[in-house]
Amino acid sequence: MIACLLIPGFELRAALRSRPRLAVVPAALAPEPGREQLVGPVTAAAEAAGVTAGMRLGEALATCPHLVLVDPDPAGAEREWEGVLRRLEDAGFAVDPVEPGVVVFETRGVERLYGGVEAALTRALVSVGPAWDPRAGAGQRRFVALAAASVARPGQAVIVEGEEEQAFLEPLPLSLLPLDEGRYAELEGLGVRTLGSLAALPGGAVAERLGREGKQAWSLARGGERRRVRGRSPAAELVEALSFPEAVANEITLRRAFGALLDRMLARPERAGRPFRKLALGARLVGGGSWRRTVTLREASGERGRIRAALGPKLAEIPAPVVELRLEAVELAEGTGQQLALVAPEGEEADARLREGLRQVRASAGGGAVGGIVEVAPWSRIPEARALVVPRDV
Amino acid sequence: MSGSGQPRTPLPRATTRLNAPRLALVETNVGGEPRLVDRELVVAVREEWRVVDRWWTDEPVDRRYFEVVLESGRNVCVYRDGERRCWFTQRA
Repeated sequence: MIACLLIPGFELRAALRSRPRLAVVPAALAPEPGREQLVGPVTAAAEAAGVTAGMRLGEALATCPHLVLVDPDPAGAEREWEGVLRRLEDAGFAVDPVEPGVVVFETRGVERLYGGVEAALTRALVSVGPAWDPRAGAGQRRFVALAAASVARPGQAVIVEGEEEQAFLEPLPLSLLPLDEGRYAELEGLGVRTLGSLAALPGGAVAERLGREGKQAWSLARGGERRRVRGRSPAAELVEALSFPEAVANEITLRRAFGALLDRMLARPERAGRPFRKLALGARLVGGGSWRRTVTLREASGERGRIRAALGPKLAEIPAPVVELRLEAVELAEGTGQQLALVAPEGEEADARLREGLRQVRASAGGGAVGGIVEVAPWSRIPEARALVVPRDV
Repeated sequence: MSGSGQPRTPLPRATTRLNAPRLALVETNVGGEPRLVDRELVVAVREEWRVVDRWWTDEPVDRRYFEVVLESGRNVCVYRDGERRCWFTQRA
């Protein structure tokens, strides 16, 4: 069977881990800077006060003047989510994460180990931990498993057998479908309020009226495709971080710091020469929030220039001054042969010689003997606040 | 760090500050100007300036800098930290 484990409002829960006091007061995840001003997930107290996720910020504050806005912490949420996934993997589940808070996996491989689907789901819930209020669902198809998890109570597992699927889906609300807000209103205007009533419509008519998105929703309302779940490849654990003594907002400084982090990452022996497939750039921001962007390289690469070109422009998107910059190798490709250049680019030989020289210095004088200078506040009146010496493992 | 000889916040993997101040042994004359720096006679004070910053924080900076020429001909920059009441040498 396909199982789905769901943690509603995961980003908010992750952000509240360091401020558990806020979990019992009306609180909502604040919108990210530069994005549409809609509140994210809300606490139960906020929901009781009339605030719902996706509400306009002004409307939410007018509805509940005591609403506490929690700064989003995407890097922290990502870290917590990775912890959840690893705990599931440690319990033997080959997980396929959908988004933070939603993961699917096959139970077939572990049913005999744990003594059935229900026992396996219970094990999955236990391994995640009760603090996250996880709920689980299982069915023959992904969407059915997700729908089952959506109706389960915290700590509960709902299993939907193949023949019960349609009867189970019929009364459920349309909000389970990945549709725009306007589409829900359009469907409700047509008198379609449940998955059952949508599924009962002719597919061609739905596609004509609502387009591709509507056709996909119609297909999901009938249970969705039967697709196997493929577990993710284990995540790499290569992380380089650089803390700044003072918050840095200057893009040039951030680019230099990123260059230093990249050099350190490229020199990590655990990489064993393998190129990077997916990298994440994260930052801890001065106000306590965080920022994170993940980039999948079109072609796996271990070349400094290419990685810089792919990730460098992301630095301009950081919304606030940075206290710590992090570079993570999310996924490494297997080492493969690469086409060599007929003529080496200009300066490559000198660059290689310089790197070799520095490598020799490091070999003779030990780690940390070679450093690079990263300017963090060149305008500062305090001389020692202007630049950092960052060790470079060449 | 602001105005101290040692870093106040530890930085990971031996990341250090460039041009961090070091404690210096300084004797002054009655006007508060350096007379001896690390037991070497000061022959001229080339420049003097003050840096007062971050007075709004818990780590205010109050420094009186002197660029001096020593008997050996060396050019040295020293400052008196008004907060910690001691002398440091640093390239300004």
